[in-house]
Amino acid sequence: MTDVVTAPRARTASGRTFAAILVALVLTALLLRLSAPERVAWIQTFFVIFGSLLIQALPFVLIGALAAAIIEVFVPIGTLEKLASLPRALQLPAAALAGLAFPICECGSVPVARRLAAKGLKPSAAVTFMLAAPVLNPVVIASTFVAYRGRTALWTMVIGRFTLGLLVAVAVGWVVGDRSKDELLRPRPDEGHAHHVVELAPPEARWRRFFVHMGNDFLYMGRFLVLGATIAAMVQTFLPASVIGGVAGIPVVDLLVMMALAFVLSLCSESDAFIAASFVQFGPAAQLAFLVFGPMVDFKLGALYMGTFRKGFFRMLVIAVAASTLVGTMWVKVIAG
Amino acid sequence: MSDVVVPRPAAPAATHARMRPAPTGWSPSRVGGGLVLGAWATLFWFLLLSGRDNLYLSTRTSWVVPVGAALLSAASLGRLASARVRAPEPLGRREAWILGAMVLPVVLVLALPPATLGSFSAGKRAGFAASGVATPLGDIGTGQLTLIDVAAAQTTKQGETALAKRAGEAVGFVGFVTRYADTPADEFLLSRYIVTCCVADATIAQVRVVNVTPGAFAANQWVEVKGTIYPLGREVIVNASSVASVPRPSRPYLTP
Repeated sequence: MTDVVTAPRARTASGRTFAAILVALVLTALLLRLSAPERVAWIQTFFVIFGSLLIQALPFVLIGALAAAIIEVFVPIGTLEKLASLPRALQLPAAALAGLAFPICECGSVPVARRLAAKGLKPSAAVTFMLAAPVLNPVVIASTFVAYRGRTALWTMVIGRFTLGLLVAVAVGWVVGDRSKDELLRPRPDEGHAHHVVELAPPEARWRRFFVHMGNDFLYMGRFLVLGATIAAMVQTFLPASVIGGVAGIPVVDLLVMMALAFVLSLCSESDAFIAASFVQFGPAAQLAFLVFGPMVDFKLGALYMGTFRKGFFRMLVIAVAASTLVGTMWVKVIAG
Repeated sequence: MSDVVVPRPAAPAATHARMRPAPTGWSPSRVGGGLVLGAWATLFWFLLLSGRDNLYLSTRTSWVVPVGAALLSAASLGRLASARVRAPEPLGRREAWILGAMVLPVVLVLALPPATLGSFSAGKRAGFAASGVATPLGDIGTGQLTLIDVAAAQTTKQGETALAKRAGEAVGFVGFVTRYADTPADEFLLSRYIVTCCVADATIAQVRVVNVTPGAFAANQWVEVKGTIYPLGREVIVNASSVASVPRPSRPYLTP
């Protein structure tokens, strides 16, 4: 039996720790000003891409954390469990289509899915929602339409992305099956212990719990986003686009290469269609592989997933998304070329 | 931020069940998290008020900056207002350093001078340069030509045909100078990035500018080129009548 107590003094941050952190940050700022690393072209490029990835993604993570906090604090326990009683054949497509009502990109859907699963929604439905929302939401569909406007493959891309995104999300949800939330979710130090404490005083006010949950989710996801953005920016700084041109037209390999490219570029699902459309040497199926796989698995998301899910489940998720996207796009290749 | 708790062997039952007094104190983990949120809120307000958001985002997504600033401020204030608690959660030393690391990107953006993507990436993104920006052909066939029109025209055969009909017309473009090892001394590539959401999705529009005074313009220098356009298949040439140095535009990236 364990009891939850304050951390031992040796491991607890003291005033000295906070002072050291402050000094480290100030020294970093001074060092940056004095050494002017932006004079080196690749460092400047890295900082610009890194900064832009974070500045664009963090508000979405916060919106996701806000939605997750609303679910945690204001949705009564049991509400989501009622949804779980629906048959799975109905539950998974419904969860995927719920993405239509959630017009934010992939970074925001992760904390929401985590909270939905923690609060009682079937984990398979939560994962389906998480994967589908960034592909099926109206803003993404509209941006795909704009990017391919004037192309013969316009409707193949728009309808193909929606349909394939839906099918892949449902298929992965099916693979998740009846796994419980404990098998899926990585335990977090700030959750799951409070109930052990003997609290005789009344619980905190709802508004306080709301802000604490929102902050906790944001700060927890944010650190993984910073990590993912660092890797993605580094890759973007050095990756020459010409590297992949040689494999266009090689069956299956072109699909795999476009999926790999989507993984390393870590683009927002609301803009990736413009990049996909620029790969004119690749056919619609390969471009769809890029557009379906990227919003579901990339460096940035990989870091978020690692913070959210257990390692085994994360591996399974990546394999399931990759396999179903590959099979789906192979069919598109047969039908649309 | 996670409010770190560390399990240790159980205390005697009597201690466990004893009623706690209800003193209030500042929770280090809530205060620490509130300060990190506040640092990010400060960055977003800074970007908004200084106009530096244009260096990272397109006009389509610039709305995330005021929204982010407001939400981060509210989240920070709300968390700090909730920071006085009966049983303050401690903050582990490792967790405190992780929170400090989360402020590092804020320090980077604030400490470094404003910068944009430049020539270094132009070569890396050259494969993207055929550009997926799809402008209606009508825009290419009539009116003042822009670098977005040029990029769009290079995407399709019809676009190339429409642009070819504009050969010999006067144009004026603003962009930065790009030179490769094999670029002749009296030429350069005029480049401009096209950003849909953020810089990470930048594609590039380029035209080859000829009839330039050798050595007059350095790589990454922003210039305004006026001259006559000659589309030659996938390459577009501008015969310069004047090239003038200009300050970097407040919006250095184009939005399709």
